[in-house]
Amino acid sequence: MRSQWRLAGALVAGALLVAGCGGGGGSDQPAADGKVNLTFWDWDPNMDKVVAIWNQAHPDIHVTLSNPAGGDQLVSKMITAHEAGNGPDIAKVEYQSLPALVAKGVVADITQYTGDAAKDFDDTTLKATRFEGKVYGVPQDVAPLMLFYRTDIFDQNGLKVPTTWDEFKQTAQQLHDKAPQVAMTNFDAADPGWITGLMQQGGADWWSASGTTWKVAINSAQSKKVADYWQGLVTAGTVAKNPSFSPQWNKQMNEGQIATWISGAWAPAQLGGIAPNTKGKWAVAPLPAWTAGDKTTGIWGGSATTVTADSKHAAQAAQFAAWLNTDDKAVTAQIQNINIYPAATSGRSLPILSQPPAFFPNQANYYDLVKQAAPNSRSFSIWGPNVTVTFSGYTDKFGAALQNNTPFATALDDIQNATVADMKKLGFTVS
Amino acid sequence: MAARNRAKLPYLLVLPAVALLTLFVVAPGVYALVLSFQARKVTGGLLGGGSKLVFVGLDNYGLALADPELWSSIARMVLVALLFIPATVGFALLFALLLDVPRVKLARSSRLAIFLPYAVPGVIASLMWGFMYLPATSPIGGDHVDFFGATTVFFSVANVAVWGSVGFNMIVIFTALRALPSELYEAARIDGCSELRMALRIKVPLVLPAIAMCTLFTALASLQLFNEPNTLRPLSNAVSSTWVPLMKIYEDAFVNSDVNKAAATSVLFVIAALAVSFVASRTVSRVNR
Amino acid sequence: MPSGRLRLLPTAALVLGAIYCVVPTLWILIASTKSKTDLFSTATYLPSFSAGIWHNIVDLSTYQNGIFWHWMLNSFGYALIGGVLASLVSAACGYAIAMYEFRGRKVVFNVILACVLLPQIVLAIPQYLLLSNVGLTDSYLGVLLPQLFNPYGIYLCRIYAASSVPQSLLEAGRIDGATEWKLFHSVGLRLMGPGLITVFLLQFIAIWNNFLLPFVMVNSDDKFPLTVGLYSLLRHGAAEASLYSLVITGTLLSVLPVIALFLSLQRYWRLDLVTGALK
Repeated sequence: MRSQWRLAGALVAGALLVAGCGGGGGSDQPAADGKVNLTFWDWDPNMDKVVAIWNQAHPDIHVTLSNPAGGDQLVSKMITAHEAGNGPDIAKVEYQSLPALVAKGVVADITQYTGDAAKDFDDTTLKATRFEGKVYGVPQDVAPLMLFYRTDIFDQNGLKVPTTWDEFKQTAQQLHDKAPQVAMTNFDAADPGWITGLMQQGGADWWSASGTTWKVAINSAQSKKVADYWQGLVTAGTVAKNPSFSPQWNKQMNEGQIATWISGAWAPAQLGGIAPNTKGKWAVAPLPAWTAGDKTTGIWGGSATTVTADSKHAAQAAQFAAWLNTDDKAVTAQIQNINIYPAATSGRSLPILSQPPAFFPNQANYYDLVKQAAPNSRSFSIWGPNVTVTFSGYTDKFGAALQNNTPFATALDDIQNATVADMKKLGFTVS
Repeated sequence: MAARNRAKLPYLLVLPAVALLTLFVVAPGVYALVLSFQARKVTGGLLGGGSKLVFVGLDNYGLALADPELWSSIARMVLVALLFIPATVGFALLFALLLDVPRVKLARSSRLAIFLPYAVPGVIASLMWGFMYLPATSPIGGDHVDFFGATTVFFSVANVAVWGSVGFNMIVIFTALRALPSELYEAARIDGCSELRMALRIKVPLVLPAIAMCTLFTALASLQLFNEPNTLRPLSNAVSSTWVPLMKIYEDAFVNSDVNKAAATSVLFVIAALAVSFVASRTVSRVNR
Repeated sequence: MPSGRLRLLPTAALVLGAIYCVVPTLWILIASTKSKTDLFSTATYLPSFSAGIWHNIVDLSTYQNGIFWHWMLNSFGYALIGGVLASLVSAACGYAIAMYEFRGRKVVFNVILACVLLPQIVLAIPQYLLLSNVGLTDSYLGVLLPQLFNPYGIYLCRIYAASSVPQSLLEAGRIDGATEWKLFHSVGLRLMGPGLITVFLLQFIAIWNNFLLPFVMVNSDDKFPLTVGLYSLLRHGAAEASLYSLVITGTLLSVLPVIALFLSLQRYWRLDLVTGALK
């Protein structure tokens, strides 16, 4: 009888041990044959196809892809994994989150491994991953903000494609008068990357640094100019209030109730998934400007491939990161499967980009327009070390402002105060 | 031999539970306490040459208590609780009484149908109801009624929680009803008492302990409100990232990486939760007497 | 006697309640039948009969190499193993407290009672912080171990042991020379059987429904239970189009097994144990 229990106990303990051994991430020790195993955290759909190309060509360095979360959720996971010591080797990090990860010591300095690769990026792009002279990631893509519009809705209502924000406002009003159930576009209070792109175009510089002192200007005059403009459109009822990708927005896109989408150059593939029946009805134009003839635009997102500080094989990990974003085959595969617009200068001239994306067969010069916009895109001088606080402040405060019809300018003030307070609490010097 | 074993066995039997209690209740609590007295500060440089952990005494508690977001989140949780607790217990009692009516039809199927939501995780229930609230996909008039409006959002969140909890509480009360001896009713029925009066005058007072227990359960559940607002958040503008206290703690810990302030808020929350539960359970035992 | 129409009132009210409880599942069923394009462009209460549901299931199963079914397996694993172990722990502890006088008995029981009043979820984040120091995060153990402690289950087991295991039987056994251990598992556990199943089912459902603990503990998406997996799918949908159909189909498929489980285990739900504990 007693032995029965002992046996059961042993079985249970054994099962638990086996289950427990299944846990933990991070790289293994190299096996006896010298093979290196790297873990790669990335949320791009179909990235597995690109990783497969590497694995086939590099049998001695095997990369395992995992997709625990996306965007800033992944940043949180990286920070907590770093504290537990079981983070991945390589991770996709959006440009806006990179300074925070550098400040927390989560990503590694890979300047020594990326000397060659760095030559393939222009200074504007490299600025996003280079701090105080050290390179912390290989830029993967850039997403200049552009205007995507429904050619059929514009034709139907006799509208001209706006080239300035004033024209955009007038066109929105014309559309609202002729077809009140169609919104000109949607104001996205759930994606801070969208609004910062618009702020960047408007000349705002939310963070800047001189020496080791930070300057935070979220509620600057330029920011308020942009915010007030959009508040005007929301109050006039010419733009929808739903975030992009939300179910309600999906429905409106499908039913032709949204005429334009201010989005990044990766939009066509997304549109294919959102509203497949609108194929061939969209076209891209440069983002409307604040003054006629100004080609500046902002950036919505874009990420770099980084190597974590926990990685035990930094050299190989950096090699993969560089390959992913500069090798012609890799970049072509990314464009094909993930629909990014490459950050690498050579990548922008790849043969695959001479064809328009599958969803825009009607616009042969699609990538030419993007190529023109990319060098004129500006970002903030530097992203702050606590961008998550600012971003959740944006979604909460602007979401509430939309719900309660309160001024956006006040929301900007709140976000400014919260950001500065948090930075000071962490011990940064803020002027 | 037997006497020695008898002395040993209870300790052995209790050991796993006590070990688990120490490791997963007491130790985390103590650890959270220790963390709450510390903070992480950067050590120079633009992006911080590194960071160090420093002792800051009660600073984190001060910051937590001074944070208006925390109080708003508590207020919202209380609002939802004020809707959730009466509705759950009320409907549970109603359905249990209805099931106990002698000639009611379809009792077994109804009872099963009402109990089923208990097996549905709060996250899944929120997904289901979330899509039902959205104008884009709503079969219940979501395009006419704004389920995510500033006031209606509380009803919407409470509704998801009520949907998931009524069944279990109904069964608890129903079981208590079934345990009552039927002679009680025979006399009342012979006297011509209606079912309704019997329910109100005889049954309800006799199952008051069960009702009180259900109230305690639902009160505890409302303190733990997290899954419903957290899942509804991606679907609308109405739910902020710190809508209830647990979301605030989560955000501090994982989004803002301020583990220490989160630990302080957790400690405060545990103390408050224990206080509320203690008061509630005292009331329950007073009712039982 | 109530009039003819009024007599049906209780039935009608119950049916309304049942409908309220069933409608969301019904809606999810209808929505799952729609293909990605139809989801937002057809009337919501009308199902689609163009085999949309089959396509959706295939899409869901191929998403990230069938990770959805992995999530389903994980949920069952956590709930089953966790439920069994937690019940054994509760049974042992409850039996000991009910049947023996030992030093510290009162303290242990009072502490456990206090834990009943503590919302377990509040501990999830401190548990994560503690476990990250010993490297147990992002593992199956990290999700399983904290859920083996079920104070309410211990409380129920104590009550049940006290009421279903007569001391006289134990005394008789002792006189016959049986060891305490033998008394525990031959007599005690057997008599507590039906109550134990209820304790197991309660903990099974609690673990099955748990979101915050695995959400916080686990980074690798292959260790997610269904709750965390479907939530992550919803969040991915905020930056990637057309995952809503997958979320909806996944929701439907996650609800079906537990409904089936419930229907087949109906007679084991002895919630009189819960109310019996009030005396």
